[in-house]
Amino acid sequence: MDSTAALPAKAGPHTPHRARTAGNPAALPVVLGLPVLVWQVVFFLAPLVFLIVITFWQVRSFRLEPAFVLDNWERVLGAGTFHMALWHTLKVAATNTVLALLLAFPAAYTIALRLPQRQRDLAVAMLVVPVFSSYMLRIYAWQVVLSPEGMVNTALSAVGIGPLPLLGGAFSLQVGLLTLTLPIAVLILTFALSGVDPVLVEAAENLGYRRSRVVLHVLIPAIKPAITLAATTTFLLAFGDYISPLFMTGSKPPTLSILIVDTVKSGSQWPRASVIGVSMLAVLALVFGLGRWFASRGAK
Amino acid sequence: MTPPLQRLSRWLQIAWVIALFGFIAMPMLVVIVFSFDANRFPTIPWGGFSLEWHRAIFSDEMVIDAFLNSVKVGLGTAIFSTLLGFAAAYIDYRWKFRGRSSFVLLVAIPPAVPVTILGMAMLAFLSRAGLFGRTETIMACHVALATSFSMAIIRLRLAELGPELEQAAWNLGASPFTGLVRIVVPFCKPALIASFFLSAAVSFDEYMVAWFVGGVHETLPVRILNLLQGQVNPKINAIGTVVLVISITLVLVAQRFVGVKAGKRS
Repeated sequence: MDSTAALPAKAGPHTPHRARTAGNPAALPVVLGLPVLVWQVVFFLAPLVFLIVITFWQVRSFRLEPAFVLDNWERVLGAGTFHMALWHTLKVAATNTVLALLLAFPAAYTIALRLPQRQRDLAVAMLVVPVFSSYMLRIYAWQVVLSPEGMVNTALSAVGIGPLPLLGGAFSLQVGLLTLTLPIAVLILTFALSGVDPVLVEAAENLGYRRSRVVLHVLIPAIKPAITLAATTTFLLAFGDYISPLFMTGSKPPTLSILIVDTVKSGSQWPRASVIGVSMLAVLALVFGLGRWFASRGAK
Repeated sequence: MTPPLQRLSRWLQIAWVIALFGFIAMPMLVVIVFSFDANRFPTIPWGGFSLEWHRAIFSDEMVIDAFLNSVKVGLGTAIFSTLLGFAAAYIDYRWKFRGRSSFVLLVAIPPAVPVTILGMAMLAFLSRAGLFGRTETIMACHVALATSFSMAIIRLRLAELGPELEQAAWNLGASPFTGLVRIVVPFCKPALIASFFLSAAVSFDEYMVAWFVGGVHETLPVRILNLLQGQVNPKINAIGTVVLVISITLVLVAQRFVGVKAGKRS
């Protein structure tokens, strides 16, 4: 590590002080950095690398044994259940991304550009709270609300409609996923829109642009990287989610996360579950790569 | 636009924001409101106010155990991820070296890996290392996740610290270590407090990793997950209310110190 480059030369007369305190200044980044490095390697990187390694291992009499076989990859990638789950998960995550962006943008627009500072801060606070508060509980609440005897159906039957099968399908799954992704999408877009120079908007308005043209030709291009970030984050969360598919559709049809847990549970099929996991990471890496390419394209 | 149309458009915008916040807030309100419902099953009409379920969870040993595990794991996560997050943020702020971006990525990326995959990977690896099924292991894994948030918060604060202060201290003879302790740490204090509470909140809500690596040691979210997969249990809303109140408090305290504001506009 080249630490000296960033450190200014110390004034001569005071050098003795330095010797009294910490000795070699180059030691500091190492002392600070090593624990972080070790921790993240042991508890994050090594597990992921190991996950890749065991996709080539074998299970013999319910025990995981080191080997180098491609059998797990062939079996999983060749299985119809995997293809169906992959396609279903992609579709669900893509739908959720589009929905989240369409629903979030008008709200973020109003919060960032129409609300006064105080209300905007309050809105941001109200969006940050759900991001860090039990998602699982909120999904359970939706289950209660959308169930055949739930609040929505009770209210609908009072006006003579229903009961509607709200729970257990594509609709409830998207409701569940939006619970996870919508606050984050609104937050990202709100921050981005708050950062847009108001002069740009005013200039466009003075030139006679209508509101819709200002949005399409000024605001959206100005926050393109944030839109990409919101889209990729939403996709990532919806693609990897386990809770909404489990509780909102009863795992039917299974998503890849459901498939992983089922494969692990159904006896020691760790290598196959790992193949699914590694494939999911590959898909996400691809999506992020595309996102970066898209965000950087035309950005000057 | 003509003024009446403009007013209508303004109304629609505000209505949209309110509807969206209603959607976001409703599930939390449902959990809290029904935890005080005398009915066994959460349906409307409400069965009348009752503290029965709140009382019931305080005599449920598995819930109490899970709660204590969560507190232990959350506290440990808060302390360690704040320390590690600070170190990572400071290194990124202070030194340029080859591999710096990889170093930052290693800390920043864990929340981007789906927790199902992460939980499975951690279990597979850590059980080989003989670390499976301890609360300390849950904590260590939560730290790997939460340090990302700590680093982000503290790095934001450090971006506001000009280089002159530290350099002045060095010129006056302070060692980098003294400068760090006397100048950087006090400057970062609000961010450190925010990081402490936010990483506690991250840990307090995490279920998948805790479920995979915890073995018989359940944290509160894992207890809830196991309860939800069983029969309908009226205690869930009461446990849920406790969990929500704790995590909302943690996040609000964190927010109070981090002072996140969507850009100022004149």
